[in-house]
Amino acid sequence: MRTVTAAAAVLVLALLPVAAPWLQFVLTLAIAKGFAALGVAVLLRAGLISIGHAMFYAASAYGVAFLARAGVNDLGLLLILSVLGGALVGAVAGLFLVRYRAIFFAMLNLAVSMVFYALCAKLYGVTGGTDGMPVPVPAVFGVVLGEPAFKSVLFYLSLGLMVLIGLAVQRYLNSPLGHALAAVHTNEIRLEYLGIPVWAVLLIAYVISAALAGLGGAIAGFAIGRVVPDFAFWTASGHLVLIAVLGGIGGVPGAFIGALFLELLHSAAVTVTDSWNLIVGVTLIIVIMFMPQGVYGLLARKEAASL
Amino acid sequence: MTSRGISIVVARCLSSLEWLFRLDRGVPQGKVRWVVDGLAGALALGVVAATPAAAQEKPSALGLGIFTFTSGPAAAYGMPGKNAADLMIGEINAKGGIGGVPVSATYVDEAQGAQGVIAEYRRLAGDAKNQVMVAALSSANCLALAPLAEQLEVPTVGWNCDTHQLLMDGKSKYVFRPNGNTVPEFIAYAIYLLDRKPDVKTVAIINPDYAFGHDAAKIFTAALKALKPDVEIVAELYPKLGSPNYQTEISRLTTARPDVVFSNLWGADLENFVRQAAPRGIFTSSQVILALGETVLQRVPLPDGVIVGVLGDGWWMSPDARAKPETVKFAEAYKARFGEYPVFPSIKMANALIYVKAAYDAAMRKNGGKWPTRVELADAMNGSKVETLTGIAQTRTDNDGLVDQIVGVTVRTSAQQFPVIGDMVRYKGDSLMPQAGQDPLAWIATLKPEFAKGLPKPGSYK
Repeated sequence: MRTVTAAAAVLVLALLPVAAPWLQFVLTLAIAKGFAALGVAVLLRAGLISIGHAMFYAASAYGVAFLARAGVNDLGLLLILSVLGGALVGAVAGLFLVRYRAIFFAMLNLAVSMVFYALCAKLYGVTGGTDGMPVPVPAVFGVVLGEPAFKSVLFYLSLGLMVLIGLAVQRYLNSPLGHALAAVHTNEIRLEYLGIPVWAVLLIAYVISAALAGLGGAIAGFAIGRVVPDFAFWTASGHLVLIAVLGGIGGVPGAFIGALFLELLHSAAVTVTDSWNLIVGVTLIIVIMFMPQGVYGLLARKEAASL
Repeated sequence: MTSRGISIVVARCLSSLEWLFRLDRGVPQGKVRWVVDGLAGALALGVVAATPAAAQEKPSALGLGIFTFTSGPAAAYGMPGKNAADLMIGEINAKGGIGGVPVSATYVDEAQGAQGVIAEYRRLAGDAKNQVMVAALSSANCLALAPLAEQLEVPTVGWNCDTHQLLMDGKSKYVFRPNGNTVPEFIAYAIYLLDRKPDVKTVAIINPDYAFGHDAAKIFTAALKALKPDVEIVAELYPKLGSPNYQTEISRLTTARPDVVFSNLWGADLENFVRQAAPRGIFTSSQVILALGETVLQRVPLPDGVIVGVLGDGWWMSPDARAKPETVKFAEAYKARFGEYPVFPSIKMANALIYVKAAYDAAMRKNGGKWPTRVELADAMNGSKVETLTGIAQTRTDNDGLVDQIVGVTVRTSAQQFPVIGDMVRYKGDSLMPQAGQDPLAWIATLKPEFAKGLPKPGSYK
């Protein structure tokens, strides 16, 4: 039943842009943010809230822009290299950040990401300041595509990656390494007594989550065609945490459901009124008050009840 | 409608797939049916949406996507633009619209950031009703939308888009800017300053900390150095956009004691700066240049003798503007409706809409009165010369605009309760612009002190 629902949902997503072509961009962006929110959700398992994951999102997007400027012009290569770049930034930051817990972890992530943001905005000659850097349309396996074709390729690639990486992350979370995250949350000392190095468990989780955020950022960079420092601003990080919580941190689909929900809500709200922030905010309050398990939690609970 | 027929057939075929699912697999029938029907519906919609609307027929309404800030701090600049658009569209429709077709605008809030703006642009461009986009205010958004406009082939008129980077590559076919850019806008201040205060030695700059502020500082400094090489920049301050407090910066300025303080702060930032700087004597100890000062003339009491301008020719009280009855009427109608006279962002927006209307008129004259396509419209904009509310907006073959630059100083008159601009100069648009394809900063570096000699002097425009 679950597989059928998931397959149907992916199929609907695949067909939606055929019905409304402008949705393709919104959905690509939603999937991109879903990846980043999934990264946040992985750390949430260990009870660690990162209000700084937009840094990896932006680092990878800037990575794409810099690589493209340096002459790399292949979608696959750009994606892999920039995600590796995001993961590398994650490994460096994670080395010292995973030693902290609770509010200290959240605040230090925030601080580091804002340093990154300031660098992006202030290194005017390198990053173009607030005007950002362009991301050209790359070739796909040597094939040079027009813009609309590339955007379709990007969308279906993101959709495919969503399924593949979603499954991989599911496997990871169900592995001993993944279950150790929940154990860190409940009783960290016991874990150490069992002979499991908490630091290594968390560092691996941190790098994975940075790579996920990086993948999201790279896709977003391609979709938007321009990278601006706002990608790394703390509100963007908050947005990712919000998506993760909104979708429900119970499982992998939660992050993507949350991202789709928020992006579509945003798109709908801005067409109605200038006070779109109000509509988005009120909806979020309602969801958080009445669906503490998130949107996915609601679906999962219904299923549990029907069993 | 053949397309509708096709879509119904496709939908029926898809629906008939349902029998495949009739086998009992423990799947609730209702849900599968819902999914399949949904897919069929989506596909049917897609077939209809993908069918191109017949061009050349006059539509019942002409849609315009207008991008501006309607929320957040930048709305201080964006809302006067939106107000002017409302008013101007009302005026155009009252006169029968464009070629008999009424205009309706969809406003997009730029405060969403580049992602939201791009999503909205794509959505609006997907609707054949929206033939033209008037986008955008923020330079970052303009730069993000420009490649999209080329790819989707939608004529896009930058109503503000100050950055000189926008059309620098000269390859744009669909992006137009019937305005000056940062280069002529800020060179004009350097020339005016040197005419008015030829013995200036030290200059301090206080600009907002983002691309517009840094660009302006770079251009203004380069122009000053080229025209008077012994000028020294004694302080460059970049306060954060939207900061409420400028006391630290003002302290720096008072200790640096510069002859001139240049600033392109705007909106609430500018109002805050002026309110905090005036009591501390900045306006008496230094000659202050407020590049966007005209926007706050009606709001804060600026002292006399501050160099202000309108980043173009959009001063509603300029001699040219006063001579045009429609401009006077527009300004009075604006005052009656919004409680304030138009500021230059309003005039820029109104002029952009006049520019769009002129392009439609020209395109229809050329193709014999048929409703123009997006391509014909872009052709009509390229190389055009349009009479606006405040002057002429000329479009070069590289799509960049040439408009005159008005600079002056604040003076008090008996006619208005607020200070107005006096001792004005009006530089010709092309005299301050590099040739198409020339790197603007390299061009500025080639300027010689003699360059300014041939230009009109302060007070010559009355």
